[in-house]
Amino acid sequence: MLKIIVPTAMLMPMTWLSKPNMIWINSTTYSLLISLISLSYLNQLGDNSLNLSLLFFSDSLSAPLLVLTTWLLPLMLMASQSHLSKETLSRKKLYITMLIILQLLLIMTFTATELIMFYILFEATLIPTLIIITRWGNQTERLNAGLYFLFYTLMGSLPLLVALLYIQNTTGTLNFLVIQYWAKPISATWSNIFLWLACMMAFMVKMPLYGLHLWLPKAHVEAPIAGSMVLAAVLLKLGGYGMMRITILLNPATNQMAYPFMMLSLWGMVMTSSICLRQTDLKSLIAYSSVSHMALVIVAVLIQTPWSYMGATALMIAHGLTSSMLFCLANSNYERVHSRTMILARGLQTILPLMAAWWLLASLANLALPPTINLIGELFVVVASFSWSNMTIVLMGTNIIITALYTLYMLTTTQRGKYTHHIKNINPSFTRENALMALHLLPLLLLSLNPKIVLG
Amino acid sequence: MLRRTLLLGLCRGPLGRGLGTHRGGSILDRDGKMSEIKKKIQSILPGGDWNPLYDTSHLPPESSDVVIVGGGVLGLSVAYWLKKLEKPRGAIRVLVVERDHTYSRASTVLSVGGIRQQFSVPENVQLSLFSIDFLRNINEYLAVADDPPLDIQFNPSGYLLLASEKGAAIMENNVKEGAKVCLMSPEQLRNKFPWINTEGVALASYGMEHEGWFDPWCLLQGLRRKVQSMGVLFCRGEVTRFMSSSNLMKTASGEEVNLKRIHEVHVKIDQSLEYQPVECAIVINAAGAWSGQVAELAGIGKGPPGTLQGTKLPVELRKRYVYLWHCPQGPGLETPFVIDPSGTYFRREGLGHNYLGGCSPTEEEEPDPGNLEVDHDFFQDRVWPPLAQRVPAFETLKVRSAWAGYYDYNTFDQNGVVGPHPLVINMYFATGFSGHGLQQAPAVGRAVAEMVLEGHFQTINLSSFLFSRFYSGEKVQEHNII
Repeated sequence: MLKIIVPTAMLMPMTWLSKPNMIWINSTTYSLLISLISLSYLNQLGDNSLNLSLLFFSDSLSAPLLVLTTWLLPLMLMASQSHLSKETLSRKKLYITMLIILQLLLIMTFTATELIMFYILFEATLIPTLIIITRWGNQTERLNAGLYFLFYTLMGSLPLLVALLYIQNTTGTLNFLVIQYWAKPISATWSNIFLWLACMMAFMVKMPLYGLHLWLPKAHVEAPIAGSMVLAAVLLKLGGYGMMRITILLNPATNQMAYPFMMLSLWGMVMTSSICLRQTDLKSLIAYSSVSHMALVIVAVLIQTPWSYMGATALMIAHGLTSSMLFCLANSNYERVHSRTMILARGLQTILPLMAAWWLLASLANLALPPTINLIGELFVVVASFSWSNMTIVLMGTNIIITALYTLYMLTTTQRGKYTHHIKNINPSFTRENALMALHLLPLLLLSLNPKIVLG
Repeated sequence: MLRRTLLLGLCRGPLGRGLGTHRGGSILDRDGKMSEIKKKIQSILPGGDWNPLYDTSHLPPESSDVVIVGGGVLGLSVAYWLKKLEKPRGAIRVLVVERDHTYSRASTVLSVGGIRQQFSVPENVQLSLFSIDFLRNINEYLAVADDPPLDIQFNPSGYLLLASEKGAAIMENNVKEGAKVCLMSPEQLRNKFPWINTEGVALASYGMEHEGWFDPWCLLQGLRRKVQSMGVLFCRGEVTRFMSSSNLMKTASGEEVNLKRIHEVHVKIDQSLEYQPVECAIVINAAGAWSGQVAELAGIGKGPPGTLQGTKLPVELRKRYVYLWHCPQGPGLETPFVIDPSGTYFRREGLGHNYLGGCSPTEEEEPDPGNLEVDHDFFQDRVWPPLAQRVPAFETLKVRSAWAGYYDYNTFDQNGVVGPHPLVINMYFATGFSGHGLQQAPAVGRAVAEMVLEGHFQTINLSSFLFSRFYSGEKVQEHNII
C-alpha cells in the first residue's frame, strides 16, 4: 500500500518544483504510472482480503474503487488544463496540489482497515473538494453550492462519529477484519434504531439519497471540471462503499429499518430521472442522472444479497467512468460556447464528428446498453430487488425507460439537427480532449470483456 | 427547515421585533447596525447569493447566455420573444443592459408612435402587420398575473400619404399585399377631409385599417414588466468592452477568414469605475442610435475599406424634432396621420385640438446630434409653411412644446439590420430602423429570437435585412420614408 501512498504524496513536491511548462506533463504522467501500479491490486485471492499491513488492506470491494480513483487523477489533470491556462503559476500548482491531496485521502479511505480511520479520511476529503469548488468554480452561486455540500455532509456524518465510538466501546475494536466476526446481531429496539440511523445517514447523504440530494446538482454545476469529475466518479462511491462496510455490523435491524430508505430510493430513482427530462442545463442533467444511478446502488446495498452486492459494485465502477466522461464532454462544450444551456449549442455532429462519436458511446453506456458493465450492474440490482419484492420491477422498468429517454434527449439536442449560427467557429477537438474521452471509455469497454474483476 | 426557523427568529420573533424595527429605534439600534447585521446574516444563509469579500448585488451576474445591449423597445422585444419561444421554459438566461434607466434619451419614448403598413418593401408591410396584431392583442401577449391590463391608447385613425405628380406613380405601385389601402384622387380627398388644401396633390393613399398611433411608453413598460416576470435580468450599466476570441478559418473557396466570437462582455456600472465581466454565448446589439458605437467595440468595421472586415455598421444618430401645437380651428377627430409630399407630417394628439408634427430635414441641414436641444427656428422655417399651405386652419397655431429625439439612422438604405454578423458570429443585430423601429419592434423581436433559437427566420423572412447587404451593396430601398 505504501507503494501507492508515498508516490502520490510525492507528487506534491514534484508539482511545486517542476518547471512551468512541465507541470502538467509531469503530474499527468506520474499519476498515470501510479494508477498502473494500483492495477496489481485487482488480483484478488477469492474470499479473503489482501491484507497489506495493520492499517491498510484491500479486498475485492475496495480494489476496483481504488483503481478507479487512481485512474481518475491523470484524467482530471488532463481535463483541467484549458480552464486553468489563464491562472498564475502558483494558482495552477495549488490546484494540482489540491487534487493530489484529495487523491491521497481517497486512496487511504478506500483501503483503511480501521473504521475510525475511514471516518476521519472520509471527512477530510471534504476539505480539498470544498476548496476546489469554491475557489475555482464558475459562478457566484458556487459559494452557496459549497456551503450546501459541506453542511449536508457534515450534518449527516456527525452522528456516524458518535455511533462508531459507541461501537468501539461496546465491541472493543473497529478493525474491519476483526469486527466481521465480533459483531453481535442487533434487534430493532429504539436505541438500536438510532444507532442504525446514525451509522447510515452519513452515507445516505453522500450517495445521495433522494430526499437529501439537494447539494448534488448545485455542487456539480458550480464545480470546475475536475471537481465535477471527482465528485461524480469517486466521492459518491465513498457513500456506497461505506454503506456496504457498515451494514455488516447492523444486522438484522436492517430488515425493518431499510424500508423507508428503500422507498425513498425507489421513488427517487424515478423522480430524478424524470427531472432530467426537463433540465435545460447540461451539467445539471448529468448531475441528476448521477442521483438516479446512485439510488439503484442504495437499493442494492439495503437488500444485502450477494447478487445485489455484485450489481452495486459493478454499477459504481461503471457509473464512475460514464458520469465522469459525460462531465468531460459537457465541459468541452462549455469551453467552446461559454454556456451550459443545451439548446444554444446544437448540431455539433456536423462540426465535431469525433466528439460526436464519444458523445454517442458515452450516452449508450449511460443508458446501460449491453454488454457494458452498466447493464450488468443494473440487471443484477433489478433481479435482486425483484426477488426482494415483486412490485419493484415496475419502478425499475420505468426508470430504465426514462433513463434511455433523457440520455437520448441529451444526445439528440446537442448533436443532431442543424447547427446554430453562433457556433460556427468553435475550435476543433483537441488531442488532449480526445485522449481524455478514450481513456475514460477504454476501461469501460475492456471491463465488459472481463467483468468479474469489478463484480466484488 | 433550519433556515426557516432561523429566519423566523431573525425577522418575526420577539427579539427581532424589539431590535431595529421600531419606528423610534431602540437604544441598541442607535447606529442602524442591527438592521445591517440582520441583512448580512440573511444574505449568508443558504439561499441568498453572498460574496464574502464585497456586496455584489448591484452588479450583473457573472455569466448569462444572452446579453442584450440596449433596453429600448427593440431590446425588450427580443428578450420577450426569446423567453417566449424557448422550448423548455426557463432554459436561456437573458441579461438586458441599459445605460439610461430613465429612458430620457431613448428613441422609443421620444417617438411620435405611429404605425402603418404603407411601405414599399413587402417585408416591412409584413412586419407592421404582425406588430399591429400584437398591439391589438397586447393584453394577451403581455399579461402578468395580478397586474392591471395595459392600455396603449391605440388611435386607429390611419395614415394619409399625399403624393405630388412625381410620386404618384411610385405610390400606385406601393399598394401591397395585406395592407388595406385606398387610393384617393384630390376630389375624393376634398370630400373626405374638407380641411385639406389639395393643391399640388395628385394622389393620396389612405390606410383604412390597422394604422394609427399609440403610446410607446406604455408598450415599453408593458414589455418591461412582462419580461421581468419571465425571468430576464436587468442591469443598469454600459457595455464598455467585448472580449473575443478569433479563429482563422478557410472558406470553401480557400480564402482565409477570421471569425470572431465574443465570449465576455464588460459592463461598467453607472457613475463608478466598477465593471463586471459577463460571460456570454450570444450578444444582441439593440442599442438603437448608438448601435454603431457598440459595433465598433466589437471590432466590426476595423479593416481595409471595401472588404467584409472593413464594413462598418452604418447606423448613426440623427436628431429629429417633434413639435406640439394647439390649434382650435384645426381638423377634427378623424384626422389621420398626414404626410405631406414635402416631408412634413402631423397627427392629432389627444382630444383638445393639439397636434404633433415635424419634418425630416434634408441632408444639408441635419442638426448636430450632440445634444437634444430643440431648434424652434426649424419650425418657423421648415415645418410651418408647408403645414399652413396644406391645412389652411394651421395658419393660426400656437406651439405648446417641442422635443428632440434620435433616429437610429441607417445611412445605407434607411431600413433595419437584423440577424447575425458574418464575421463576429455571435453578435446579432436588431437596430437601424431609422424612424420606424417602434412600429416594427414586436415582429423584429420575434424574427431575431427565431434566428437565435432556430437558426433561420421562420415566420417572416428578413434575409434581405441581413448585415451582408452592406458589403454586397444590395440596398433595400424604401420609397415611403418619413
